Amino acid sequence: MRIQDFKNKDIHELVDLQARLVSANEKLNAVVSFCDVDAQIKDYKMKEDAPLFGTPVVLKDNISTKGVRTTASSRILDNYVPFYDATVVKKLRDAGAIFTCKSAMDELGMGGTGLNAYTGKVNNPYDLERITGGSSSGSAALVAAGLTPLAIGTDTGDSVRKPAAYCGIVGVKPTYGRISRYGVIPYASSLDHVGYFTTNIEDAALALEVMAGRDDQDMTSSYKEVEAYASLLNGDLKGKKIGIITNVIDAIVDPRFRPSFDAFTKKLEEKGTILEMVTIDQDLMNALLPTYFIISNAEATANHSNLDGIRFGMREPGEDLNEIMINSRTKGFSSDVRNRFVIGSYSLFVENQDKIFRKAQKVRRVIVEAVDEALKNYDVLLAPAAGTLAPKPDDSYGEDLNNTFMVAENHMLLGNFSGYPSITVPYDMVDGMPVAINLLARAFDEQTMFNVAKGIEDVTGLAGITKEDF
Amino acid sequence: MEKNKAYFRKLANQIMIDLSDDEIEILQKEFEVTLRKMDLLDKINTDDVKEMVYPFELETHFLREDEIENVISQQEALENAPEVKDGQILVPKVVK
Repeated sequence: MRIQDFKNKDIHELVDLQARLVSANEKLNAVVSFCDVDAQIKDYKMKEDAPLFGTPVVLKDNISTKGVRTTASSRILDNYVPFYDATVVKKLRDAGAIFTCKSAMDELGMGGTGLNAYTGKVNNPYDLERITGGSSSGSAALVAAGLTPLAIGTDTGDSVRKPAAYCGIVGVKPTYGRISRYGVIPYASSLDHVGYFTTNIEDAALALEVMAGRDDQDMTSSYKEVEAYASLLNGDLKGKKIGIITNVIDAIVDPRFRPSFDAFTKKLEEKGTILEMVTIDQDLMNALLPTYFIISNAEATANHSNLDGIRFGMREPGEDLNEIMINSRTKGFSSDVRNRFVIGSYSLFVENQDKIFRKAQKVRRVIVEAVDEALKNYDVLLAPAAGTLAPKPDDSYGEDLNNTFMVAENHMLLGNFSGYPSITVPYDMVDGMPVAINLLARAFDEQTMFNVAKGIEDVTGLAGITKEDF
Repeated sequence: MEKNKAYFRKLANQIMIDLSDDEIEILQKEFEVTLRKMDLLDKINTDDVKEMVYPFELETHFLREDEIENVISQQEALENAPEVKDGQILVPKVVK
């Protein structure tokens, strides 16, 4: 499914698509709330030349929508209905989008599996037993199932790019500050990005044009001019210099990956791409996950201190204010999220700040300097987006300390630490499941990122691929 | 310092949450793994390195003119409040 499919189409056909979405959700469990498509069609006044004319769009459930429940898949926000739209919602609507649903996610964005939504596990369209990855789980599943051409997510640690890999679609995390985060329920403010999913690069380029731009209501939003990414798209790979991150290749132990990846890179070389291996200091790669864990949990603890059941959200009874807050927060958050808050809080104690929190912030800078050094001679850095096929819930997926988990499953954090643009693109199918690569480009150089991704898409022939059983 | 159940319960209560005994056991195990992960940071030399608080140090926010903007109405502010009385959010008596 592509954005182009909705050009010159009767928007009333979206009613049928919505019915299909409702039906498919019984299998996918990807939706928290359905939007009123009939009402949007009735009020629709867009002209046919609008960039997203009649295009159905899915929003992750941490994106504020006026009058539509926005829970971030957390019990504590189960009854929360924003009275305003996030900036990205306004921009999409002004471009012609029609919103079909709010998609399920790992609670408050804190997870990478799609197992920790208040509405339950989100199922991978390619194998319902497998996970989608997360935290933008529902958005990924719905694009991969051919139920929407565009779904919005957020990416704090790889929460768009990992589910894109597991579900075989395009996942974009633009440069930090490129898309406004106003109205997006935060997780970790120094790492949070709005990102999105499409089935092809042309749509990805167009979607960024629509959503990007300065917003005074997001103090981190950039003044950089938004380029005409779609019309400037050029997939010619000849002479493009790509650095392949060896640390990631070396960390992947699944024997099914290598033949497929080698065949893929050979095709790139045949198109004139200059591929070189580039190695980042292994100690820095090993430090990625702990650095992320410290910074993200600390920021999350602070950001979510306002979720207490007093001014909004689910309130539990209590004898006094303190008891109400403790009861509301205890019942309102899952065990996993509460644990993360405790660890985040621990790192912010005065006696731990230098040793833990500030140390992590310093390591972050050293890591980003290493990324700059690695990117110096290349248009983009490339690595497999994941070290395994989408796992099943019982597969060993714990946060242990082996190299596969620490590096192969977490290297996309480089994009969050640096803020640099990054994209996941599927390149093959292995045992019936999609596998993908990830690109990392220089700050605000989304055009080069899209161009290389387009070249890759031309090589793989996987543009527009979805699982058509839904 | 040995981190027993009481220690973790105190940590949790400080941020206004509670944990069951079972949850604390899980947290204790996670905490051990977390501390081992944190040790990996010690391998990185950060002498004379400044903390990276945000990705970019470009100036994107400024003091604005002291003019009223982006105001929400009282009705909007109270729309999601669990209990409201006389235009205010209602909570149990704080001063007794």
